[in-house]
Amino acid sequence: MAFLVAIEQSALGVWIRETPSVFAFPFILFLHTLGLGIVVGVNVAINVWALGFAKRYPIGPLQQLMPVMWIGFAINAVSGVLLLVAYPAKALTNPIFYIKLGLIAAAVVLLTWLGRQVFAGVDPGRVFVPDVRVKAAAAVTLALWAGTIGTGRFLAYTHSVLMATDVLN
Amino acid sequence: MQALMNWIVNTPASYFVTTWQWAWPICESLHFIGLTLMAGTVGVFDLRLLGLAKGIRPVAMHGLLRLGVAGFGISVLTGLLFISGAPDQYFYNSAFHVKAVCLALMGINVVLFYRLQFSAVAAMGPHDDAPLPARVMGAVSLVLLIAVMCAGRLITFYRPPGIIY
Repeated sequence: MAFLVAIEQSALGVWIRETPSVFAFPFILFLHTLGLGIVVGVNVAINVWALGFAKRYPIGPLQQLMPVMWIGFAINAVSGVLLLVAYPAKALTNPIFYIKLGLIAAAVVLLTWLGRQVFAGVDPGRVFVPDVRVKAAAAVTLALWAGTIGTGRFLAYTHSVLMATDVLN
Repeated sequence: MQALMNWIVNTPASYFVTTWQWAWPICESLHFIGLTLMAGTVGVFDLRLLGLAKGIRPVAMHGLLRLGVAGFGISVLTGLLFISGAPDQYFYNSAFHVKAVCLALMGINVVLFYRLQFSAVAAMGPHDDAPLPARVMGAVSLVLLIAVMCAGRLITFYRPPGIIY
């Protein structure tokens, strides 16, 4: 708890939490939503393509979306850490937060595996019909991202501690 | 306006979303999932118009848009549930006003695209560049999509004080 209090009372934590400007906490929340839209949006395109469209149209060119997804991922890693610095106890004392991190890790691993199957060594101009394992990975990846969104949203409603500072005082 | 809000808060939808404690976060999750369905279909189609992911015909990518329409439907339904729960928090909220204007502009952009550019875009081959007007419309669509997300996320910070009804 003392560690969480130190983060809460750090200059950055106080600034994010207490600056009245819409460009502090609210804008970081917007960036987190934007990154979510980019990351999961690209996943929707690639995974839905693998699930249905790939048998008629090439999937290879969608590899160009991967750097876009990683930009979104970076936006969310940074904005997520900033939100964590503002309210560390709120997330770190909530089991749902760890479930969310686990879902993200699993989704990234699965998408990376899927990318290797459908992009690497495949002629991007050719139609590549994904096998059942790739399709299963695509469906599970989408479910994992839906779970990430759900657990992320529930974090705002299920925390038992908002501020470690208040618990200690 | 007062009569409209009084009617809204007495609908079953309003009762559902304000009395069941998990209704709000579940609807928010669905609202965001709808958003990602739009981003992954409309947004990716816009990126193709702008020249990304060449090698796929835009008309093939256009097939994804049915899913985007479904996502839009999910977000509209859950959005209406939010409004039904606390109409004053949206009707007197400048962030919501901006969001509504951006959504209307998005609608106009879609209509203009289908009336003026769709036939040319549908004829494009896998490696063709989109005509300039179509590229502009794609860029406008992306900017408006991001603006809608931004204004939507900021709604909670521009809430009017107190319950008015």
